[in-house]
Amino acid sequence: MSAARANQLDTMAPPVARIIQSRSLVIGLIFAAISIIGGFLRPDEFFRGYLLAYMDWLGVTLGSMVILMIRHLTGGGWGTVIRRILGAAMRCVPLMTILFVPILFGLPRLYVWARPLDSMADKHLREHLQEITKSYLSVNGFIVRAAIYFAIWNLLSFFLTKWSREQDQPPVRDNNRFKVLSGPGLILYAFTVTFAAIDWVMSIDPSWISTIYGLVILIGQLLSAMCFAIVVERILVKYKPMSDWLKPEFVHDHGKWMLTFIMVWAYFSFSQWLIIWAGNLPDEITWYMRRLNDGWGFVGLWLVVFHFAVPFVILLSRPFKRDINRMAWLAVWMLFMRYLDLLWNIEPNFSPTFAITWADVVVSIAVGGLWMWFFFRNLNSMPLLPVHDVDANEVLEPAHG
Amino acid sequence: MKRAPIYGTMAEFDSPTALVAAAHRTHEAGYQKVDAYSPFPIEGLAEAVGFHKNRVPLVTLIGGLIGGLSGYLLQYWVSTSSYPVNVGGKPYHSWPAFIIVTFEMTILFAGISAVFGMLALNGLPMPYHPVFNVPRFAFATKDRFFLIVFASDPKYSPAETRRFLESLGGRAISEVPD
Amino acid sequence: MDERIEHAEGARAPVIEPGYTFGTVTDKISSIVLTRPMSNGWFLGFGVAFLLTMMMLYAMAYLFVKGVGIWGVTIPIGWGFAIINFVWWIGIGHAGTLISAILLLLRQSWRNSINRFAEAMTLFAVSAAGIFPLIHVGRPWLAYWLFPYPNSMGVWPQFRSPLIWDVFAVSTYATISLLFWFVGLIPDLATLRDRSTNRGAKIIYGILAMGWRGSARHWDRYETAYLLLAGLATPLVLSVHTVVSFDFAVGIVPGWHTTIFPPYFVAGAIYSGFAMVLMLAIPIRKLYGLEDFITELHLQNAAKVMLATGLIVGYGYVIEAFMGWYSGNRYDAFTLWNRLHGPYRWEYYALLMCNIVIPQVLWIRKLRSRPIALFFVSLVVLVGMWLERFIIVVVSLHRDFLTSSWGMYYPTRWDWMTYIGTIGMFLAAMFLFVRLLPMISIFEMRTLLPEAEVKE
Repeated sequence: MSAARANQLDTMAPPVARIIQSRSLVIGLIFAAISIIGGFLRPDEFFRGYLLAYMDWLGVTLGSMVILMIRHLTGGGWGTVIRRILGAAMRCVPLMTILFVPILFGLPRLYVWARPLDSMADKHLREHLQEITKSYLSVNGFIVRAAIYFAIWNLLSFFLTKWSREQDQPPVRDNNRFKVLSGPGLILYAFTVTFAAIDWVMSIDPSWISTIYGLVILIGQLLSAMCFAIVVERILVKYKPMSDWLKPEFVHDHGKWMLTFIMVWAYFSFSQWLIIWAGNLPDEITWYMRRLNDGWGFVGLWLVVFHFAVPFVILLSRPFKRDINRMAWLAVWMLFMRYLDLLWNIEPNFSPTFAITWADVVVSIAVGGLWMWFFFRNLNSMPLLPVHDVDANEVLEPAHG
Repeated sequence: MKRAPIYGTMAEFDSPTALVAAAHRTHEAGYQKVDAYSPFPIEGLAEAVGFHKNRVPLVTLIGGLIGGLSGYLLQYWVSTSSYPVNVGGKPYHSWPAFIIVTFEMTILFAGISAVFGMLALNGLPMPYHPVFNVPRFAFATKDRFFLIVFASDPKYSPAETRRFLESLGGRAISEVPD
Repeated sequence: MDERIEHAEGARAPVIEPGYTFGTVTDKISSIVLTRPMSNGWFLGFGVAFLLTMMMLYAMAYLFVKGVGIWGVTIPIGWGFAIINFVWWIGIGHAGTLISAILLLLRQSWRNSINRFAEAMTLFAVSAAGIFPLIHVGRPWLAYWLFPYPNSMGVWPQFRSPLIWDVFAVSTYATISLLFWFVGLIPDLATLRDRSTNRGAKIIYGILAMGWRGSARHWDRYETAYLLLAGLATPLVLSVHTVVSFDFAVGIVPGWHTTIFPPYFVAGAIYSGFAMVLMLAIPIRKLYGLEDFITELHLQNAAKVMLATGLIVGYGYVIEAFMGWYSGNRYDAFTLWNRLHGPYRWEYYALLMCNIVIPQVLWIRKLRSRPIALFFVSLVVLVGMWLERFIIVVVSLHRDFLTSSWGMYYPTRWDWMTYIGTIGMFLAAMFLFVRLLPMISIFEMRTLLPEAEVKE
């Protein structure tokens, strides 16, 4: 153990991470080029696809930050072993900040409130917008609020990273500062992501209101992040040092988190649906009418079965949760389901009948490629474990029996 | 049922570690009808006395399925055919509304099945049991650990088994009258 | 200082003070039931609680004679104290299940010293809660009509109503809580059977223990069943307050019809429940000398859970208020305005003080280890959560869509007598419980001792 501590090289990510890093960049750049060309030819479709891709990858980024902060508060080997994976994903916040800029160029194409009100045919909507665009849903307000969200996320990511980096050089300070930041950090995250969800997704349909919507997006982000961490740990576990560290108990705990997030996602989604269905008010139920008819209903049913029911039943199995290979397959599937869930949330605003455009696919791959490149770059820049931290002992000690 | 005058031979141990070790060695020595008693659950003890088939999860699953199915079907039948009422223009078969009761019935039946299934499989309640005839056995619910080899075991012989249990370090060895 | 932090924060801190053996743990907990003489304080406390219970029975008897007209409920406020107190009590019960089930699944061993009395608290709280809808139906002797059963009238419950969901949720919750509590008690009842010197007590405990003898096979099935029950109770407890929130949210009354209600109600329930756990645990550990088992760690952790759930409740307030404004819906906006400026504004300000402002002192670590301060913060939270239900029920109903149907709500003395009476009933049951049954799970405490580990 002391040898591992002395030799920093042993704790770095394996060479495969560099290979994935460069290949991701190539894929990202190629698809980004196609996206940009497509963006000039078909700007409406491009921006819709871009918003979808952006929300999807933002989920992995911010969700990782949250799971990291939960780990700082509760401790536990399950979190220590993926701590640097989560950290590398969290450090994609600056990338996501830059990638937010293109959305600003498509505001009128995405958001009805950013268009001139005179062009509005629906009288009720126009009256409603006259009020709200003056006070809240204005372009300037949108930009200022986004700047606040990004400032908070970047600051949290900056300090968590800085302190984590300091732990690689002994002597290591106590972990209390992580806790002191993580408690308020979780509160800040909950509020910022809620208002971001309202601004960026819910306001596409400005007459629709759901107070739980922020939490629906929030839990989706946590699920995305946990699934992504499981996929990465599956890639790394084939090589040292992760092969020495990742114990079945940790994978089991990751599976429990995944199960929990899936159940909470279903709980929030069902609660929202039942309350709106029972109330049956015209403002609210129209949101579901669009999503349960004309082909979108099939996507909704698919989500019920494959975003909740099937993974839920599978994850009840204890042997499954302890098997990293099978868990990784489910995690990949769930990442796809997260994409589909966001598609089902965003796209029906624009297309009443079921439609997936070229942009929904291409732009997601473009953003994903760039994101993965940045992620593996981050992962390679730091050891996979802060070995001098007392918490690391739980991971470093050999598995018994 | 054959009524043997002796139910088995019981030995007392000081610690969970000693009990688990003794149970393992008894099993290895070829005894099959063995049981152990402890004041709290000890990991690995059930395997050590040769217990593998735990059917409680199965019973619970079946109970839960019955509960959920009957809950949904009851609501479906009541709301669509036995007593259909128009409420707020909602369809008779209002599946979103039926999920709640279905869920509660699943939990209720699964929980009841888990508890009563566990009790039934354990053969409880059982007001009389021969092991209670051993006076020291009252400490099995406090701080003592017991191992018994049943007389029905093919390898059982009062003298031989007593010697064997003594060799394991068991104390206060006694024949349990039936 | 830093070492203290590590102690309080990490799971490595001892949940039980060192120096105990299987025997002394058993003796210490069971002696409270078996040998400790009844103190005057116990008689006094029980006596007061018993008198309050009598007062509740009196108020209920008068209610049965006169009808619900003796209460303050009248149109437009058809749901007054009955529903407020029902939700309050049910919420309090949630902490018991949370401690016994969720913390068991999370392998939090500190739960072992508080789960038994927290579960008892759940049972008594659910019983107190159950009284209110029963006496509110007007003809409580016909309350069995709530359940679906074939009858000569040919009628069935209406399954699209959240009120029938409540019947199923609460009765399932009561049943599963009782089973969970009883299953947990079986090995300890066997201990009491074997320890007791009084023949009558021996027989009673013996019947209740059902012949438990601690066989390895039994333990194996027992633990499986216990874990399964925990796994079932966890979604159940979340569903119960969710269904309670549906009672409000599926209607279209402004201030009720909002999708955040389910998680927000659940968080509020756990919030008030942990406050009640602390209010009970702090005096009990002092009076019965159980500081070695219910340690500072337990107080710290319970306070942290309170802080976290309180913040979720705060999140609910903020989002509700924001959306009331953002929606541009004039009725939602008016509900918000009415809470801040209407006739019940002082209750609303008190609610914000009790639930949001004052509990922020729990951020201070030193305060979390002061039992007396925690006791008072918990009291404040319990008052605040009661006020929250008052605001939700009364403020939304007293000013709805039509100004012609506006009104005010004034609880009568019968309302207060019933409410305070249920507190007395709850406390009387707790007093009896601590004397008749082991209030800490003895067998689970044994497993916490270092010597319980099997060494290879």
